[in-house]
Amino acid sequence: MPKPSKGTKKTVATPSSEIKIKINGCWHTFEPERDIEPTMTLSYLLREKLGYTGLKVSCDEGACGACTVIMDGKAILSCMMLAVEANGHEILTIEGLAKDDPIVEAFAQQCEPGYGTALQCGICTPGFVMSTKALLDENPVPTMTEIKEALSGHICRCGCYAGIAQAVTHASEKIGKKGGES
Amino acid sequence: MKQPYTPRPNSNRKFVGSYRPRIDAWEKARGKVEYVDDITLKSRFPGMLYAKVLRSPHAHARIKNIDVSKAEQLPGVVSVMTYKDPEFASMRLTNAGWTDGVDTVSFDRKMWSAFNDRRVLGDYACWVTDEVGAVVAAESEEIADEAIRLIDVQWEVLPFVLDPIEAMKPGAPLVHPEVTQNNVLPPEKLGGDDVFLNKGDVDADFANAEVVIDGTSIHHNATQASLDNWCCLVDWTDEKLILYSNSFEADQTRMHISEMLDLPMNKVNVISSYVGGQFGRGDTGEQPFFLFTAILSKKTGRPVKFKHTRRDSFHDSRQPAIYYGKVGAKKDGTITSLYFKSIGNTGAYADHSIFALKFAPLEISEVSFAHIPNVKLESYAVYTNKLPACMMRGVGNSQFNLIFGHVVDLLAEELDMDPIDLCIKNFGHEWGDFPDKSLMEVLRQGAEKIGWSEKRNKPGQGPIYGKTKKRGVGFSLHPAWHAEWQEVRRGRIPISITLNPDGTVILDAPTIETGTGSNTCNVLGCAESLSFLGVTPEKILWNHVVNTDTSLKDCVQTDSSVAYLQSEVIATVVEEIKQEIFERAEPVLKAKPEDMDIVDGRIFIRKNPDQSLTLKELFFQGDMMPIVVIKNKLANAEKTGVPYFANFAEVEVDTDTGKVDVLHLVVINDCGQVMFASGAEAQQVGGQVMGLGETLTEEIIYDEITGVPLNFNFIDYKIPTMADMPEIDPILLEIWKGAGEYGACGIGEGTLTCTPRAIMNAIYNAIGVRINDIPIKPEKVLRALGKV
Repeated sequence: MPKPSKGTKKTVATPSSEIKIKINGCWHTFEPERDIEPTMTLSYLLREKLGYTGLKVSCDEGACGACTVIMDGKAILSCMMLAVEANGHEILTIEGLAKDDPIVEAFAQQCEPGYGTALQCGICTPGFVMSTKALLDENPVPTMTEIKEALSGHICRCGCYAGIAQAVTHASEKIGKKGGES
Repeated sequence: MKQPYTPRPNSNRKFVGSYRPRIDAWEKARGKVEYVDDITLKSRFPGMLYAKVLRSPHAHARIKNIDVSKAEQLPGVVSVMTYKDPEFASMRLTNAGWTDGVDTVSFDRKMWSAFNDRRVLGDYACWVTDEVGAVVAAESEEIADEAIRLIDVQWEVLPFVLDPIEAMKPGAPLVHPEVTQNNVLPPEKLGGDDVFLNKGDVDADFANAEVVIDGTSIHHNATQASLDNWCCLVDWTDEKLILYSNSFEADQTRMHISEMLDLPMNKVNVISSYVGGQFGRGDTGEQPFFLFTAILSKKTGRPVKFKHTRRDSFHDSRQPAIYYGKVGAKKDGTITSLYFKSIGNTGAYADHSIFALKFAPLEISEVSFAHIPNVKLESYAVYTNKLPACMMRGVGNSQFNLIFGHVVDLLAEELDMDPIDLCIKNFGHEWGDFPDKSLMEVLRQGAEKIGWSEKRNKPGQGPIYGKTKKRGVGFSLHPAWHAEWQEVRRGRIPISITLNPDGTVILDAPTIETGTGSNTCNVLGCAESLSFLGVTPEKILWNHVVNTDTSLKDCVQTDSSVAYLQSEVIATVVEEIKQEIFERAEPVLKAKPEDMDIVDGRIFIRKNPDQSLTLKELFFQGDMMPIVVIKNKLANAEKTGVPYFANFAEVEVDTDTGKVDVLHLVVINDCGQVMFASGAEAQQVGGQVMGLGETLTEEIIYDEITGVPLNFNFIDYKIPTMADMPEIDPILLEIWKGAGEYGACGIGEGTLTCTPRAIMNAIYNAIGVRINDIPIKPEKVLRALGKV
């Protein structure tokens, strides 16, 4: 099994046969074929091999957003990327967010009358949270149109879109406040 | 800022009915909640194998010969079994309609025993992708898939039929000749005759009525599309069979396995945790794959996991139905006769088809049409070679509402009457005063919110926006059903509460949490009942795992009613806890239980309140034995009628492109008692994704030449996203009241039952042309407008 190694090695694709992926702040080294087969998707590596079960695989073809993780600051569909393509890159899964992450907090707390909660069955939630993180990192105060644009690649069959949009707005406010304090 | 709902006057609830996060919100938002696919990772079950099943490439075929030798030789394949193996060949014929999940039943008591049309693994396939013939267990999913491809099957390809009208014609291919010789499910004792209600004389009344209108509507094969694909793991490597699954039934699944595999119940352990959405799926055939996975586990001596791909999980659907409706009335709007006839596309297996076609109209007749003198209902459930169909967030009520809301709108137009007035004049229920208070308030609030009187035009006569667009408003209504008296069939509902020495609480209110939020309702109900001890929701632990070895019998997430049913039992359990506290305090306070009281966790003698002690003091000076009370209770059978719900819609139709944009939806549910406001509003808002989707964009498309479904994926089966949804206003009301402590009713299904018809009536109001088959895609609008 791959061994995580602490360190701050730079994001450089090594010419060696090793595959290195930084996951939630830790570099992991994999041996091709043994650990990662050429056809293995990133979602498979993360879930099945490494146990990051926060991301979900539902459609497995880039249509639902449940497997979203962040690579080098951008939200990506981990079911649509081969594990080898992540070589030398930095991946953030929902497990890598801080316990008091303002986005997680906003999704959990949404109960403002008239919009419903931001989650019900919860299976799509980690994907929405990660896309929201990528959005707010790039655009800390998005308009409603921008929120809808950024999150419309996700399906929530429980239909909590209105609650999610509120949560994103609240998360943006929370982050703004935090930034103002520090 | 939107307004919170207005609770019933003087209800004074501390927790029940509040706006707050769900109890599982933190874990879910952090991705910590584990679903079955997470729990059954290979790292947790070393030695685990993966199962795959052969799927029919034909809409209708029989296996003439099967050769699995190449599959068996593939490295990594551990076992290949076929329908010829004695384990399968000896298994009795069954169906997926044992129960709708409300009650637990044995094989002999299953609801649709007249239609035993399924083999767990047989040689006969009756829709494309039917699970048939052979199963494989292999070291990886890829190897299992490859092994399936290596199975050599000689098919006897049979003629097939997809359309129910065609299927009813003489000479049509027969889907289950052992059940019916004309594809129509024969009358049986539960559903009754084809004409299953015939009150008065509709024909005579139609002949004499001052006004008669009629119309048709067609509902389609929408699918539940839970993101949590079907998945199970069976470990039957020893005497005991352990099943992990994302079924919504634990006790019934144990019963099913016990009966089908002839195992004692203490040797079957069914475990379920959180499920990523249910929406009615699971009443059409999940049990066969539990059974063949179990048999593979026994055969190989290893745990076996079986998981559907997204494509495979297009496995259940809403039953499509063609409805014809006819109404006779007086000129003043009094309805004197109603006639509805339906033809349902059952698909490949009967399952609960009759339930959808017959029970839903019967229910509405019993409550809303009780005083209308002439009512006739007639239904035909027809086998075809399509995806089996039945429950989907409701059982037949959406389909029936499509015609009901249609004839209401037609009649109102014919009489030149506001359809709201027509409804209030005619619909109520047999136990309540007339006009019905719930119905009136539901319609009044909906009309106000949507701007009914300002925005409603003569059909197609309104102003034009942006050169080509027209706007309109519409609504539809339905009785809520799912009040407590309608849940008696569920049998006794058990609850256990453990009061710990420090005043914290463990609540065993087992139900498989599928997202409905009933867990939060029950924690709020528990805190409400125990508030005399100072218990708050934060002090209550709700067990999310249902394990038939250790849990009480689970209350299945069906009828949208678990939200209040368990809380009603909790209230009676708490009465007993209070008595036990008094009994334990008796030797300490030296007073009789009847002379004591408890407020805010302090136990005192009524006549001498200074003589008191806290609950914690009582426990900590004793033996620390928690108070544990287990009780069960039948639902209260007192007939209290039902409340109403309605949806109002405003649409904009582009007459150039045919595109329909829904601008505003108002969802009004009279709940009796709101158990958990944020959860209830989440259901109201959330339900519209399914409701709007099946009205405008969602549709399973078949290749008519081959019977192959073409869009079993989320790219071509269009579920609305955040960008597609309009402004939605949820309105919760507490007008009607049922029996019991709370007197609530289920609302989850009822949030979307009326959505399609409300949108369709709004489209008519906008363009002045009726389109009565959903989904309403642009080409249908253009065709209706005569533009193509």
